[in-house]
Amino acid sequence: MIRFENVTKVYDQTTRPALDSVTLEIDRGEFAFLVGASGSGKSTFLRLVLKEDRATSGAVYVAGQNVANISSWRVPRLRRGIGVVFQDFRLLPQKNVFANVAFAMQVIGKSRSVIRDTVPEVLKTVGLEGKEKRMPHELSGGEQQRVAIARAVVNRPGILLADEPTGNLDPTTSMGIMGVLDKINQNGTTVVMATHDDDIVNEMRKRVVELKNGVVIRDEARALYTSMIPVVGQSRRLKDASGRDDAGVTPAGPMPGQSPDSDAAARSGESRL
Amino acid sequence: MRLQFILGEIGSGLRRNLSMVVSVILVTFVSLTFVGAAGMLQLQINQMKGYWYDKVQVAIFLCGEGSTAAGCASGTATPEQQDNLRTLLESPAVSQYINDFQFESKEDAYKHFKEQFSNSPIVDSVTPDQLPASFRINMKDPEKYQIISETFSSQPGVETVIDQRQVLERLFSVMNAASLVAVIIAGVMTVCAILLIATTIRLSAFSRRRETGIMRLVGASKTVIQLPFILEGVIAAVIGAALASGTLWAVAHFFLGEYMSKQYPDTAFISPAQTLLIAPALVGLGVVLAGTSSLLTLRRYLRV
Ligand SMILES: Nc1ncnc2c1ncn2[C@@H]1O[C@H](COP(=O)(O)OP(=O)(O)O)[C@@H](O)[C@H]1O
Ligand SMILES: [Mg+2]
Repeated sequence: MIRFENVTKVYDQTTRPALDSVTLEIDRGEFAFLVGASGSGKSTFLRLVLKEDRATSGAVYVAGQNVANISSWRVPRLRRGIGVVFQDFRLLPQKNVFANVAFAMQVIGKSRSVIRDTVPEVLKTVGLEGKEKRMPHELSGGEQQRVAIARAVVNRPGILLADEPTGNLDPTTSMGIMGVLDKINQNGTTVVMATHDDDIVNEMRKRVVELKNGVVIRDEARALYTSMIPVVGQSRRLKDASGRDDAGVTPAGPMPGQSPDSDAAARSGESRL
Repeated sequence: MRLQFILGEIGSGLRRNLSMVVSVILVTFVSLTFVGAAGMLQLQINQMKGYWYDKVQVAIFLCGEGSTAAGCASGTATPEQQDNLRTLLESPAVSQYINDFQFESKEDAYKHFKEQFSNSPIVDSVTPDQLPASFRINMKDPEKYQIISETFSSQPGVETVIDQRQVLERLFSVMNAASLVAVIIAGVMTVCAILLIATTIRLSAFSRRRETGIMRLVGASKTVIQLPFILEGVIAAVIGAALASGTLWAVAHFFLGEYMSKQYPDTAFISPAQTLLIAPALVGLGVVLAGTSSLLTLRRYLRV
């Protein structure tokens, strides 16, 4: 669904690249954490997926298409296939919950009746039933982020990108948000979440891609925030041994004899959320 | 739905920047009024030129009923006198100076008069008899007017020989200078308008950066994102153009039609209806002005 091939992004010639020769594949329906210290390149990764910036070298594929080949007037179509949520929610303060979510449908020309049917449904998915008429300032942080998620997925994108969505929230509220993201993932949406919230990553046990100074130093399935095996080479060897492909370059589906590592097993393990 | 959305956005944008929108309206109003004034002056010059001005330079008026000139002692010019004049015009001595000439009968003169003075009350009180017949001469070299004048002034049946240019040229040069001044002022005001529209759009884009940021992320097309801003400027400019057109119409109706035409009954003035010919041009100019100015601004300040 998302594939990076030797992607390097240099913002400023005088400093190190924000992303340095990143090769990575995230499959359809997968849930991946992008972890790493501030400035490690997580947001840059997400921006390249959205074609908000262009890669300095290398190729970014989204849904099989090289984004460098998407002409500017087709970029909106790319973005309709991708939902995004941020740390700061970015709701429209003068619109109520319903209108905030409906906005994402209005601007791409959805009819009023479709909007009237879809928005309550999505609000129910994110756990905001009955709060349609509330204004953003009347909501808690967690509820505001749920509105933002509803807005991001209301047009049924295949991909949901979340850039530190729990960065402004307390741990309990954060776990609630993770529950929503997990539910969306189980409905078939590919989710990529940048975070440096170790509790969440440890709790979820999903694929973890760790960036450091723009370089992928770890890519593990069902992993923890900090690796038990900190050396890249070792983790690769270990994954190879467990049947998972190297850094996810080729599709990672459940393989024969891959019982504890398969996505299905991982998911059932997390369904308690 | 999308149209409704864009209209809603325009409405809220206009309301949010009301004072800026009002200043855009006023600046385009003033600048387009000057553009229109220059246009009106040109129309007025055309009106005053009448049927003959651009075709001929010299007119030989024949004697009419009440003529008092020396050559008109025998009253209205006779057909023989007309033929003699025509022969003289065709003789080599004269024809070497002229390209061609035309005879304007009393009836022709009345027809042309009615056209030129169609907006003036005087048209109702004039009959063909009161208007002199004339020969209208297109000179090879307009400077040679003197030769024609000397040859024909003393001919029987000729009331007077007139160099039309001499009569109107000075007035026209004043009017042309006034047009030029109006165009220069219009130019300066237009620059003001462009800059003001650019600033307005920039402020508008800034105050709505949250919305446009979200629109971009959820994949709204460039048109949906930009059109409200562009139309905001265009609508303000169109209102300005409408006000300018209204002002020009009022000037033509009240100042020229009611006042000037009574002060100068023998001058042909343009009609208010003619100023409405300028109105579409003004609206078009306003739209182009606002459209390009806002497009260029958005290219810089609104990422899509
Ligand atoms: N627009 C930009 N212009 C210049 N440098 C940038 C820009 N965005 C990010 N960077 C730099 O790129 C690096 C990675 O940033 P970012 O992707 O935001 O990291 P993260 O999201 O992991 O904190 C940082 O060193 C940051 O300073
Ligand atoms: Mg970041």
